[in-house]
Amino acid sequence: MEKYQYLIIGGGVAGFTAAETLRQKDAASSIAVINSEPYALYSRVMLSKPDFFFGKIPFDKIWMRGQDWYEKNNINFFGGKTAASLDPNNKIVKLSDGLELGYEKLLIATGVCARKWNISGSEKEGVYYLRNIDDGKKIMEAIKTAKRAVAIGGGFISFEMADLLALAKIDTSVVIRENYFWEPTLDETSGKMIEKVLTNNGVKIINNVEVQEVMGADKVEGIVLKDGRKIECDMVICGIGVACDFNWFVSSGIKTNRGILANEYLQTNLPDVWTAGDIAEYNDLLLEENIQLGNWVNAHEQGRIAGLNMAGVHEPFKFVSFYTTQGLGISIAFVGDTRPGEDRIIIKRGSPEINSYARIIIVGKELVGATLINRTSELSLIAKLIENNVDVSQKYKELADPNFDLRELLVAEIKVN
Amino acid sequence: MANQKEYVRNKVDSSISKIVIDRDLCIGAASCIAVSGSTFELDNENKAVVIGADTADDETLKMAAESCPTKAILLFDKSGKQIYPA
Repeated sequence: MEKYQYLIIGGGVAGFTAAETLRQKDAASSIAVINSEPYALYSRVMLSKPDFFFGKIPFDKIWMRGQDWYEKNNINFFGGKTAASLDPNNKIVKLSDGLELGYEKLLIATGVCARKWNISGSEKEGVYYLRNIDDGKKIMEAIKTAKRAVAIGGGFISFEMADLLALAKIDTSVVIRENYFWEPTLDETSGKMIEKVLTNNGVKIINNVEVQEVMGADKVEGIVLKDGRKIECDMVICGIGVACDFNWFVSSGIKTNRGILANEYLQTNLPDVWTAGDIAEYNDLLLEENIQLGNWVNAHEQGRIAGLNMAGVHEPFKFVSFYTTQGLGISIAFVGDTRPGEDRIIIKRGSPEINSYARIIIVGKELVGATLINRTSELSLIAKLIENNVDVSQKYKELADPNFDLRELLVAEIKVN
Repeated sequence: MANQKEYVRNKVDSSISKIVIDRDLCIGAASCIAVSGSTFELDNENKAVVIGADTADDETLKMAAESCPTKAILLFDKSGKQIYPA
C-alpha cells in the first residue's frame, strides 16, 4: 500500500494551496492529492465571468499554475478519482476504484456540490448547474444557440448567469422563491437595487414563486410555476445553493454539522485529520462560533493555514472573510458576518438614490459585517475595523453618513492602541 | 492590453520594481487583499488598486499575485522583465 506523509482529498483552491504550502515547508515530504476532477487547479470563480465566457479572456487563463504543476513539485496527483471510505484508526483512505492509500496526516478539502433540483422534469437535457469546469463548458455551448433562458434562485449563481445571459442577448427570466434578490442576507433595498439593474438590461424577475415542473420531451421546452404560469425556454440554470457529500466518511466518526466540524486550527475531532474550504465548519475566533463559508478567498486562506498546521506550525485561522461580484454596472460585496439575526443593529449608509448603499452590521459595540452595493472601496477598511474589534457604539451617526471616511475610525483605533 | 495600471515599487532590498494591475482581467475577487491588505484595496468599480507599493515583502507580494484567480496582478523585476505570471 502506498503511504504518504500528507494526503489531501480535494484539488480545489483549498487543497491545492495546502499542498503548495506543505511543499514550501518541506521539500522532501511525500504528498498526494486526490481530485474528483482530472484537472490541476483552475480558477473556479472565472467560470461565471462574462469576459471569460465570451472569449475576451482566453480559455487557457483558467489554469492557475499549469497542468504539470503537481509533477513539477513532486506531488502524486490522483485526478478523476474520489475517496470512498476513511479508516481513521489504521489511517487509510480507500478510493472508489479500490486503491488504498495510507496517510500520516490527512486534509479533507472536497468542497461542496451544487444542490440538486428535485422537481418533476429537472433531469431533462437543458437543465444546468454551475460548479465545475465541465458544467461551465456545457453552459458555454448552450448559450451559443439558446434563445430563451431561465435562471433559478436569487443568489450569486443566478445573478452572474443573468448578467451573462443578458449580455448574450438571450431572453432571460429569473425565478426567485423569495420576495427579492438575496433575501434574507440582503435587505429589500439592496435586493431591489440589484433587480433594477437586471430589469434595466431586459431580464425579467419573477418573485415569490417556485417552479412546479420542467416541461419538454427529453429536452427542456419551458417551466411551469406553482401559480400556473408557464415560461417557455430552452435552457435552465439552477443556482439554489450547495450541499455537502458526507457519505464517504460518515462511518469514520468524524464530527459534522452542516459541514465538517473543526477547531480554529482547522483540525477535526479525528487524530491527524484537518479540513479546509467550503466543507469546513470551523470555530471562528472573531465571531466566537462555528461557521462555514463558501468562497475563493476563504478557501485559499484556509488551505494555507491547514497546510501550515499540518506541517507543525501552530497558527489559528483568524480571518475576516469577504466576497464580491459585479455585473451590468453594479458591484455587490459581503464582508464578515452578514447573516440576519435579531441581535444585530443595522446602520444604513447611502441610498438607492445616490446608487451607493451599504449596510453596516453591528453586534454589541462592534462591527461584525457589512453588505456593500457600489461601495467596494470600503471593503478592506471594514474588514480591518472588524479584525481590530473597533468600538463603534458612539459612531452610529458617522457610519450612517455615506461621505464619512471610515479610515478615521481605524486611525483613531490605532492611535488609542 | 490597454486597461492596465502601473505602480512603481521603491522598496529597499526588493527585486520587484513594478506592480501592474490589469483592470480588464480583475474581477474584484479580493484574494490579493486577503494576502496583503496593506498593498491592495478595491475601488468602487470592484477593481484592485495598489495603496502601498512598498509595504509588503517580496514573498508576500508574490503570494498575493499568485492568489489572484484571474492572474490580473503582474510583477516586474528591476530589469523590466515580467516575473509573474511567468
